[in-house]
Amino acid sequence: MGPGSRIYSRSPPTHPDSSKLSLISTRDLTKSFSDSVLALDNLTLDAEPGIIGFVGANGAGKTTFIRILLGLLPPTSGSASVLDMDVRGDQMAIRRSVGYMPENDCLPIDVSGADFVAHMGRMSGLPFQAARERAAEMLRHVGLHEERYRLIGGYSTGMKQRVKLAQALVHDPKLLLLDEPTNGLDPAGREDMLALIARTGTEFGISVLVTSHLLGEIERVCEQLIAIDGGKLRYNGPVSAFTELTERLVVELDDDIPELAPALRSRGLDVDGTTTLLRITVRDETTYDVIRDTAAEHGAAIARMQLTRHKLEELFRDQVGAHG
Amino acid sequence: MAESSATRPGARLRPVGDSATPQAGGSATTGGALYDLGYQRYTGKRLDRANAVRTLFAFSLRTAFGLGRGARSKAIPSIILAVVFIPAIVSVGAASTTGFSALISYDNHLQFTSFLIALFAAAQAPELIVTDRQYGVLTLYLARPLTGVLYALAKLGALVAAMMVLTFGPQLVLFLGKVFIAVSPWAAFKDEWTVLGPLILGTLTVSCFIGSVAMAIASFGGRRAYASASVIGFFLLVPAAATVVRSLATGETKRYLILAHPIEVINGFAKWIFHIEAKRRTAVGRADLPGSYYFAVMLAVIVVATTVLLLRYRRNEV
Repeated sequence: MGPGSRIYSRSPPTHPDSSKLSLISTRDLTKSFSDSVLALDNLTLDAEPGIIGFVGANGAGKTTFIRILLGLLPPTSGSASVLDMDVRGDQMAIRRSVGYMPENDCLPIDVSGADFVAHMGRMSGLPFQAARERAAEMLRHVGLHEERYRLIGGYSTGMKQRVKLAQALVHDPKLLLLDEPTNGLDPAGREDMLALIARTGTEFGISVLVTSHLLGEIERVCEQLIAIDGGKLRYNGPVSAFTELTERLVVELDDDIPELAPALRSRGLDVDGTTTLLRITVRDETTYDVIRDTAAEHGAAIARMQLTRHKLEELFRDQVGAHG
Repeated sequence: MAESSATRPGARLRPVGDSATPQAGGSATTGGALYDLGYQRYTGKRLDRANAVRTLFAFSLRTAFGLGRGARSKAIPSIILAVVFIPAIVSVGAASTTGFSALISYDNHLQFTSFLIALFAAAQAPELIVTDRQYGVLTLYLARPLTGVLYALAKLGALVAAMMVLTFGPQLVLFLGKVFIAVSPWAAFKDEWTVLGPLILGTLTVSCFIGSVAMAIASFGGRRAYASASVIGFFLLVPAAATVVRSLATGETKRYLILAHPIEVINGFAKWIFHIEAKRRTAVGRADLPGSYYFAVMLAVIVVATTVLLLRYRRNEV
């Protein structure tokens, strides 16, 4: 420990206390805005420290969920806790340990990026000097250099998103809540933002809950995935399992062979689609062998095989159809 | 960028790559080595909620004068600062060079500045709270350890403090002028110091009166320009309406209706707090009400307006 290490110390690139800490935990969490509209419907879930993707179509209840975690909205019923702190009783302690990046615009126009991020650091409890130093560091981390002394009103959308991320990080939170951080960005900007999120989660050791309506984008940076639809929990588990769940193999045949689909089903595959265009769930590597062998037995010529995936909305519609 | 950070004292550095491997001629002291500072956790002191309120108060007070903002935000505050201070300074300057000691009186200056600080409040109350709503910054404040009520109180405090600079500041110039122009400043101070209490209470009451009304009105505004127009409208329409109603009324009712006229209320209050007899031909003189009535009306308005403001922010929601 050298002099000056009093304030800053290096963190290990792992998530501290990951064994005993519950990052986010909800029990029967329900939020209704009126008698008819249920924004969250009996949500019971647990999230471990790490990078968590929170997906759902627009209006699925993602922002409501985050607002309840921050104590900005009271739950109608049920309970929720963040870092083992209750959202009803310990709001202030939660907000001290959490960084929030809202989906919508949230920046003033006639303040410089450096001044604003430092101010937000002080609002979260950092002393003046520490707030200035950490603001400079976080703005550097998100890739804003000399521009940070210019007024925010003159920033591009991408730069504004970076300032929003910096102000969420400035007070060194244990958990980052990022609401649609890639919204409004061009493809290159999206890539940059996703890379930043991944770096923040893995190198900084800060847990991240990142919401998106785009599954393809979010699953690349996440370890755990939570999917909700219409306020109901649809999936909560590792990303890899969700990827399998959503992948389908499209098999296009040259001729109409009506008996092929029943034959495939009889060998344990999940098949649907028309006679010349079949959609098959890939269980594991042997699925391909089964398709090849069965097609050969029935003399079916396969014109095309392609891995595709459900859009999030389709998946939910299918599941709703299947269950209800 | 790594270089500038490396110069910061206290930063502990680690060369990129395996630090156990000795590098030929590439030690950290010879320069040219790449450093990855990595992420540094903050383990220092974290201050309490009172600090957040103080920080917001100070930041908003600076905002009220356009400090730390673009040039356009400084225009209105600078003009009003000039207009309230220049007469006081000129008055003191003229009195000191000519030896003629008729300075602007405290009550006249308070009446003169009330109009200007009403303009100031109309411009800056929306700047302080409406822009936070309009641009979504309120979301960020409420996601921090701060409640909506504390947010509103810090903002109101900042506006009132800024208005105190504009009201008490020039009065202090007049006070110091009176003391130091005198042949014997010490004797003059002994004569004059009792006015400091009324000066502070007077300017504080007027600032709270106008500031709380402006903030309460602005708290309903979704856009800055409309909110400013509403505040100005209030301070123009209410006196106009009060004047019309008063001209129709007669007798006792007419006397008491002066209490519905914000400008006359401030005038009556200024005469009362500085113990000055109102001239017979002025509205305050003709109404001939006890001065404490004006003070009571102002206090009531401050309480109502502040309550309205806090209710608007009570739910901690955006």
